[in-house]
Amino acid sequence: MTAAPAMTFAQQRPGGQDRPLLDGRLKDLLAGKKILMTGVTGFIGEQLLWKILTELPDTVPAVLVRQKGSATARARMVGVVKKKIFTEVREAAGGAEELLDARVDIIQGDLPNVPDLPADLDVVVHCAGDVSFDPPINQAFTTNVIGTKALMAKMLQACSDDQGNLVKVPHYVHISTAYTAGRRRGVIPEAPHAHSIDYDAETAAGLGMRDLIEAESRTAGQLATLRKEAEREHRAAGYLTTAADTERRRKEWVQAKLVEAGTERARSLGWTDVYTFTKALGERVVADLGAQIKVSVIRPSIVESSWLHPYPGWIEGFKMAEPLILAYGRGELPEFPASPDAVIDIVPCDHVVNAIVAVCATEPAVGTAEYYHVSSGARNPLTFQGIYGQIRSYFTDHPLDGGSRGAAQLPTWVFPGAGSVERLLSTSERAHGMAERMLARAPRSNRTRTIARDLDRARARLDFLRRYLSLYNEYAQSELQFVDDNTLSLTMSLHPDDQPIFAFDTAVFDWTSYIQEVHAPSVTAPVRRLDALRRKRGNRPTTMKDLSANTATDQALAVFDLDGTIMSTNVIEQYLWARLPELSTARQLGEVGQVLRRLPAYIRAERRDRASFLRAVYRRYRGADLAALEEAVDTILTPHVLSRLSPEAVRRIREHRAAGHTTVLITGAVRPLTRPLRPLFDVIVAADLATDDDGRCTGYLTGPPLVGESRAAWLQHYASQHGIDLRRSFAYADSHSDLPMLSCVGNAVAVSPDIPLMRAAGARQWSVVEWRIKPTTPRWVMPR
Amino acid sequence: MARPGFVLEVDDRTPPLVVHDGPGYRLEKFPLGTEVVYAPEALAPVDDQAEAIAAALDSPTDSAPLSELLRPGMKLTIAFDDITTPTPRMRRPDIRGRIIEAVLTRAARAGVDDVALICAIGVNRRNTDAELQQMLGERVFRSFFADGLLTNHDADDDNLSVLGGGEAGEVAVNTRAAASDLLVFVHVATNADGGGAAAMATGLGSTATVCSVHGLQGVLSDGAAAASAGRVVAAALPVFSIEAVLDNHIFGQPLEFLGKREWEWSIRDQVTWLGLRRALALSPSKTRRRLFTAAAGGYSVVGINAGAPAAVRAQSTKLLLQQQLVQMQGQADVGVIGVPEQTPYSIDSVTNPILAAWRGLSAAFSSADGVPFVREGGALVLYHPMPVEFSPLHHPSYVDFFADVLTATIDPLQIQEKFEAKFATDPWYSHLYRTSNAFHGVHPFHLWYRIAAARTHCSDIVWVGADRSSAERLGFRAASTLADALEIVSARVGRSPTIRYLHNPPQIIAEVR
Repeated sequence: MTAAPAMTFAQQRPGGQDRPLLDGRLKDLLAGKKILMTGVTGFIGEQLLWKILTELPDTVPAVLVRQKGSATARARMVGVVKKKIFTEVREAAGGAEELLDARVDIIQGDLPNVPDLPADLDVVVHCAGDVSFDPPINQAFTTNVIGTKALMAKMLQACSDDQGNLVKVPHYVHISTAYTAGRRRGVIPEAPHAHSIDYDAETAAGLGMRDLIEAESRTAGQLATLRKEAEREHRAAGYLTTAADTERRRKEWVQAKLVEAGTERARSLGWTDVYTFTKALGERVVADLGAQIKVSVIRPSIVESSWLHPYPGWIEGFKMAEPLILAYGRGELPEFPASPDAVIDIVPCDHVVNAIVAVCATEPAVGTAEYYHVSSGARNPLTFQGIYGQIRSYFTDHPLDGGSRGAAQLPTWVFPGAGSVERLLSTSERAHGMAERMLARAPRSNRTRTIARDLDRARARLDFLRRYLSLYNEYAQSELQFVDDNTLSLTMSLHPDDQPIFAFDTAVFDWTSYIQEVHAPSVTAPVRRLDALRRKRGNRPTTMKDLSANTATDQALAVFDLDGTIMSTNVIEQYLWARLPELSTARQLGEVGQVLRRLPAYIRAERRDRASFLRAVYRRYRGADLAALEEAVDTILTPHVLSRLSPEAVRRIREHRAAGHTTVLITGAVRPLTRPLRPLFDVIVAADLATDDDGRCTGYLTGPPLVGESRAAWLQHYASQHGIDLRRSFAYADSHSDLPMLSCVGNAVAVSPDIPLMRAAGARQWSVVEWRIKPTTPRWVMPR
Repeated sequence: MARPGFVLEVDDRTPPLVVHDGPGYRLEKFPLGTEVVYAPEALAPVDDQAEAIAAALDSPTDSAPLSELLRPGMKLTIAFDDITTPTPRMRRPDIRGRIIEAVLTRAARAGVDDVALICAIGVNRRNTDAELQQMLGERVFRSFFADGLLTNHDADDDNLSVLGGGEAGEVAVNTRAAASDLLVFVHVATNADGGGAAAMATGLGSTATVCSVHGLQGVLSDGAAAASAGRVVAAALPVFSIEAVLDNHIFGQPLEFLGKREWEWSIRDQVTWLGLRRALALSPSKTRRRLFTAAAGGYSVVGINAGAPAAVRAQSTKLLLQQQLVQMQGQADVGVIGVPEQTPYSIDSVTNPILAAWRGLSAAFSSADGVPFVREGGALVLYHPMPVEFSPLHHPSYVDFFADVLTATIDPLQIQEKFEAKFATDPWYSHLYRTSNAFHGVHPFHLWYRIAAARTHCSDIVWVGADRSSAERLGFRAASTLADALEIVSARVGRSPTIRYLHNPPQIIAEVR
């Protein structure tokens, strides 16, 4: 890449004013000054602190840090200076605590609730902010407008006497973003953006959205919609599970609506998103409140890993482009909605930090805010086509570990345009939705589970694409060109001795070295480490534990569900087995006919509520002789029941018994049908058929059938009565309705689960096992 | 006069030959020079079964006629073989039913009131009502079952009667049988080394008694333990033994042609064969398995003998050898055997890997004078898919035997020391054996001990088409084709071994000259 001319744009500043420049070494210019900074625990703040501590020995950094949970500001600062880049300066000071004591003023406080600031501050650097592009609207205003206002107010208060007159003129350095230009196009000068927005009114309205949306989320209509959605998924598991999910959905809905409100408000006024919008308002706040003091606004573009300092490739956390780079390396980013010739304006972090330090040392005119673009696009542009080539070539040479399947195939981008990518994505989403709906009706089997797992993987990918593409869509097509004459003049005015340490001319590096040798290796390194670790560690821990060395003995329960878990059967089938033998052939046919006719109704009931389904089926037992039923089970049905047992299940039950655990069978089936399994279980909880005085079944149960949440309640009660430790206990079940029961033990295992339970098990890191049940006799063969 | 068995040498005109391969068949083109051993054709059946039964009962060997042994007020017990013999099962009417009807007629005539029927299952699974009815006929079943006079033996019953101590250990048998004034034992003879008084000990004995015969020491004693137990029974009980000898028509219509020599198949046989292959290929595995495990054979009765157990046994053995013996020249380097899906222990059930191994290897070592058809250090190639599938109803102890025992060791001695007692007394297995239709916990051990001889005799045992993991678990090797199997064994038996294919079933007893 050819080096850009040193000055591309206007040599002369409008108005003929001189730019504030530097006339000495930075360490001398800033000697004896106290620089108050926010956001020191963040990406830029951390490096800024490092730079001050290592290169400006006579400057005192004061840091405003908020308490996070139980970690005080000081504790958090100890954590910061214990990081690797501080090693040298920390050791020179004799330790983290000593370094803080000797060099750093720590002020515990929060934005916008800023505490009183020290009166001796000279410079305030505000680099705290949201890292997210799509915060909820109220949060964006709180951070970027109210927070800035509060900080400046406290700064002015600290520099004023009791009457409110300034006794000292501080220098306020505001870190904004180049993208405050919003949806403007073309050349953006280092000057305030023209707009006539009343930030106070906007802020009040933005904050008001929270109450509005919160209230709306609590209206009957909205709650009903959310409840229905939750019920579709969780009805089987019970009311409390559904309620918990409804509330979770409501909170998510509020959050999503607040984000949407922010984005829409920003777009309605010409900004890409609420982040850049509120940042732009923040700049206006700075200009207004800083009318009496020295003010500089630094606008970095996309800040990525360092070019030289503290070492090439230094980066903290994941920033803007990394998830996309990694997704591309994994072969999961098939296309990108960027214009191939649009410029992606990346700037290394150390250039931003150096620029901040240099700006701190300038003396801008009071009342005139100075603006600095720290950006690369004007003189060293990198297009999307360019970065795509760089990244592709990097991953071609250094592929990510693809595990057993080898490195992923890297997608080839042709940049078909945003519309086309959007169509591709929404078609995929529609296809996914259709597949999902079909799957919900598919019978349970190993194959549907495999399909569901594939679908879930596809869903995660689609969600990722949807999220990132909608976030970055605007940026990927921006045609902004940030003029950086102020910044360039400043870096050129650095003292020759400061040049190697503090230079921030973004035209000095070429993108091939930056992307392929510095940035990409640095952002992929943690992922590679993690991959290697995962490969070494092997599979995840399992809840299907080896019982041979289990020491819980009688403190543990092993709870098993019947239908579908240890036995392949269902209550209708059980009913027919139990009932038909005592009927004549004609009545048998009649009975089967009736059951078949009612089958659709039963299936509907089952989908709605398991308990009412069970009641409906058990109603048919009316008139059956309970004693005869029990005898029929013992003499005729036992082989039928036993031949439908899963051998693996029996082995597991027996292992639990051998380990001394109390084995429990919890089922909605009627008690007589569990008789063949009595030797395997210490406790059997089943539905008891109520009988009349003659011992004939009334068609009712003696109590409600134990399904869904009542199983969990039973378990908890039993555990408290018998000194059982549920955390050391085991539970095995196959359907989503057993989720509450599985959730209340320490070792839950999903056995040949239905898809909702499979997903829940995946989320909770429960083992999923297949207990094969292959009855030797077909379903339609009746016991004889 | 039926044609005797013979040995065919494969030449270039020999068609592909049928090989049993679990729930299916293969047509295998054997290497030139392979010896193929065909069983003799079926002997001539008895002309009139009723007459033959009457003749046997009324003029028995070494015993007074049955009618003279019956008197009013006596306790008569009739024990009979369970559903495992013969395999495949006999078409109705089962010969057991006919014999027992004849016995009951004589008992009624003699005024005997106290009659009980016991199915001599030993440690096999309890026979179902349907199976009892199938064996005994509807009339006998109806007369005795409802009153509880027709029962399955229970080897885990605590109240069995000790008859005395033999060399192999104490012999305890069913109390009703022991307390009877006469025990009539009805045996279906298909096997030269079964039957006799020993079968009464193993069919009606306690678990310990059965283990003394079929356990490791019993198997290693080469029949001495069985003979000893048989002697104790014969000495202690008044026994009248009846044995019906079957021919080797194990394929019923329409599959009878499978027992014929391939080049003698009629057009109709060939069409049936093509249709059968197509149907098997199309049907799901479960259906295929049911077809095989539920099929009935086309047996005829070739002789009925009655009287003292030892004498009756000698007569039956003579007939069976006549039916099953094939002479062959010398021992081969490599033996080939197709293992059918049906085994005595997987009727209406699943042939699990252990059953398949036992079925194949026990057939390989059936010989007239203790000389197997494969030389020591030779190799065996068998066909069976050996899927890892178990019947939870019939084979619960096999599941654990496969999962826990065989993963620890395959050595019979260690298995006996470490595991047998635990399985024998496991309450869950015992519960299932006594109340449901499960084989006893020790059953897999007995089968395992019986294949130990083949394992030590052969240098390599390779299963063609077997599930690799289960073949490995059992200590065997798996190959995908016969050619691969021969390649595997070539390290031990060389590149041009003598190969001998035992065209079974039907059962072939080797007489190696």
